[in-house]
Amino acid sequence: MKYGFRSGVVLGLCAWLALVAVPATAALDEPPMLVEAVKEGKLPPMAARLPAKPLVVPFDGKARVPGKYGGDLRMLMAKDRDIRMMVVYGYARLVGYNEKLEFVPDLLESFENVGDRDFTFRLRPGHRWSDGAPFTSEDFRYYWEDIANNKALSPLGLPNVLLVNGKGPRVTFPDPLTVRYTWDEPNPLFLPALAGPSPLFIYRPAHYLKQFHARHIGEDKAKALATEKKARNWAGLHHKKDEQYRFDNPDLPTLEPWVNLTAPPATRFVFHRNPYFHRVDTAGRQLPYIDRVLIGIADEKLVPAKTGAGEVDLQARYLRFDDYTFLKKNEKRSGFDVRLWETVKGSQIALYPNLNTQDPAWRTLMRDVRFRRALSLAMNRHEINQVVFFGLAKPSNNTVLPASPLFEPEFRTAWARFDVKAANALLDEIGLTRRNADGVRLLPDGRPLEVVIDTAGESTEETDVLELIRDGWRQAGIALFSRPSQREIFRKRVFSGQSMMSVWQGLNNGLATADMSPEELAPVKQEQLQWPLWGNHVESHGKGGQPPDLPEAKELLALYEAWQKAPDSAERARIWRRMLAIHAEQQFTLGTVTGNPQPVVVSRALRNVPPKALYNWDPGAYFGIHRPDTFWLDAAPRS
Amino acid sequence: MFSYVFRRILVMIPTLVAISLIIFLIIQLPPGDYLESYIAELQAQGESVDPQKIAFLREHYGLDRPMWQQYVQWVAGMFRGDFGYSFEFNMPVSEVIGDRLLLTMVVSFVTVLFTWAIAFPIGVYSATHQYSWGDYGLTLLGFLGIAIPNFMLALVMMYLANVWFGTSIGGLMDPEFIDKPWTWEKWKSLFAHIWIPVIVIGTGGTAGMIRKVRANLLDELQKQYVVTGRAKGLPPGKLLRKYPMRLALNFFISDIGSLLPAVISGAEITAVVLSLPTTGPMLLAALKSQDMYLAGSFLMFLALMIVVGVLISDLALAALDPRIRLEGGVAR
Repeated sequence: MKYGFRSGVVLGLCAWLALVAVPATAALDEPPMLVEAVKEGKLPPMAARLPAKPLVVPFDGKARVPGKYGGDLRMLMAKDRDIRMMVVYGYARLVGYNEKLEFVPDLLESFENVGDRDFTFRLRPGHRWSDGAPFTSEDFRYYWEDIANNKALSPLGLPNVLLVNGKGPRVTFPDPLTVRYTWDEPNPLFLPALAGPSPLFIYRPAHYLKQFHARHIGEDKAKALATEKKARNWAGLHHKKDEQYRFDNPDLPTLEPWVNLTAPPATRFVFHRNPYFHRVDTAGRQLPYIDRVLIGIADEKLVPAKTGAGEVDLQARYLRFDDYTFLKKNEKRSGFDVRLWETVKGSQIALYPNLNTQDPAWRTLMRDVRFRRALSLAMNRHEINQVVFFGLAKPSNNTVLPASPLFEPEFRTAWARFDVKAANALLDEIGLTRRNADGVRLLPDGRPLEVVIDTAGESTEETDVLELIRDGWRQAGIALFSRPSQREIFRKRVFSGQSMMSVWQGLNNGLATADMSPEELAPVKQEQLQWPLWGNHVESHGKGGQPPDLPEAKELLALYEAWQKAPDSAERARIWRRMLAIHAEQQFTLGTVTGNPQPVVVSRALRNVPPKALYNWDPGAYFGIHRPDTFWLDAAPRS
Repeated sequence: MFSYVFRRILVMIPTLVAISLIIFLIIQLPPGDYLESYIAELQAQGESVDPQKIAFLREHYGLDRPMWQQYVQWVAGMFRGDFGYSFEFNMPVSEVIGDRLLLTMVVSFVTVLFTWAIAFPIGVYSATHQYSWGDYGLTLLGFLGIAIPNFMLALVMMYLANVWFGTSIGGLMDPEFIDKPWTWEKWKSLFAHIWIPVIVIGTGGTAGMIRKVRANLLDELQKQYVVTGRAKGLPPGKLLRKYPMRLALNFFISDIGSLLPAVISGAEITAVVLSLPTTGPMLLAALKSQDMYLAGSFLMFLALMIVVGVLISDLALAALDPRIRLEGGVAR
């Protein structure tokens, strides 16, 4: 491993020296890894591989400096399936977020959005797939006509994001470089879906996939091919070959910066640079800088240890804040820096009172806003922050972060102070005045007020936090017990109402803008642990679960529906704020701390990785938004 | 002899059917199915899941069908050599296991050889020098080997080797060989790495084996024919090799029954800790993610190995030890 890295660096260094010595010419600019192939004529020179107008990545000269070619980037993942992270990190999207979370064209040369209803996409002339075939509107047509609207391949119809009131868009392909999507009513979810970490792929490498499609090769031949490849039918075979997100088919052409060369199952995956990648640096040199990405597969629990031993160049996945001290201790020995990036969950750990719990006495109590407020007031968030997170996080409700344009200070602080007296007063007001010999309040039916919190049993962080919450609640006369189980059982218990309260992460997207969907705030999904039955009711279009019956929950649902129909961003922002205010007032979920740091291990040789940044799934795509194609390896020694 | 073998093979069929039923039921016991644990895992990482895609996959994988149908389909497929489909890897089970099987067998065989090479001389020494200092010392070592959990030994060795020699123990060869065809260099790299898992996996087995050799040999050494041999003036070495040791070997042969499946599955937990590219971690992962056909077919394969192994060891025992008769047990 080390050898491979050094030789890569040496090659990179040679290229760099050559660049310094001789004024840059097209031939010299060629990435050293590809020089041979270009010389032999297997690959066209760089100018011919790039689109006519490549995307020029801005280098501000401070945080991001132009680099040099070469080297291997080593990372670790826990499962074969995790190689999909290369699609997340690569972050080549039709339209992507920039670091200010604005939509910018990426694969597209430009796009036009008229009232969120009419989208016109223009492709880059001369843009090619990783195998050299042109990327044109035919690839969009193939997805639209031969996949999305094909009964065999999409038996359930169009993806939900493409439907507005059950109706799909009209899609036209005026010329090889233009695609147009038109809806009758606004579809504000379309661009976020395209820019997501796990994006909606509305294009396919048609030239490759046609060889499996019954319409293009005929039913008989498709059937024979499926039998030969041991697939159930041709649709199954097509499906298997067409996994742009799983990234597990080495033959599937891609537009990402690195191309997968390894078919799973494997213990090491090798990704090579995409010779036709569409981004360049300010000097006009094709990205990515790094030649190869090597992904080792190791057990999830072994990742921190292997990282500490210096077996990676860039790692954040499977590292947790608990590992920080261990990693920090190994910084010098293994030649890396441990950086702390900010996470953007609404709350690192949140409690979810189950409003659909089966026990009627508890259900009444959970639905009483005074009870939820009392629980929140009796939580000492400052103490949690100091004890578990070394004071590096911030006490907060489960809400958006200050970096979000929708943030208001009350969302964070409402009912979130530590005030046992007020909590006791609220509980007395509800009528829970009787106590047993231990000082625990009694329910009206005489049972003690013992809250049993279900945990998925996965993190010691959760149990530590619960332990601290127990102390605060105790002072309010509430006993707390935790019930660890296993993830699937945990979910089953919550969904069926067997659990009265559960602990999980807070809002996934604490960085929301008005144009992102507020679905996490309204009862629309079963997986929302505070109202699984209501969520299930909406999700299944009334077939399962129960309709929401709390006025505030109904209002949230109505607001969510209004958001979908809202004409502009201002109206959407107003709806968002109203929903956030309801949540802060109602304490449907109880947040603890937010912005807790994510350790990111960066080799000392690796450049252009921001020292301080956000680490988030959507928006952010983890490293993706920071453009790993611009990361490069310096010749400086590792330690 | 022939009818005995025939009958034994006939009995294997209901045994395997019963095992397949138990395996399938146990895999289905935890709540949910593969897709639910898949969704839960994605959501734990903050990823979203398209419910439509899940619904499509559920139908595609046949998870929406009743359980008995899934079972019948699986068993019927196995008779045709089709072991089902691995959801996790999105490919037929037989293709998933492929390469790992070879590496697992290499590791296991070397481990077995290591175990025998160490355990046999020590066991013989302990038995012939019973209650001597040597016996006590080696017995102590042996008990330590049994008492220290393999995974802990693996962790300690991994840490020390990393700190002292700067080597990474995880894996079975230098990374540059991983995706290359099998060349001489690759084999050399494999054998440069294999000793660590072999020692870790071997220690527990070695200790057990020492005890077994010692006990079996001690039993024989007490017997009259040994005393007679000694009284007639046979040299002690020749006496030992010629009679009691050969009889003490019986348990080696009856061990084949449990050896065969062990060779295929490898030491699961140790392999996970050392992140070896063997079948053990794969089986564990498949059970955890409820990838039922992969886990089920693998367990079925292990069961088959046990059944065949027991048959082979019975036949070998009968062939090697004239005191054992086939007819006795059957006639009853």
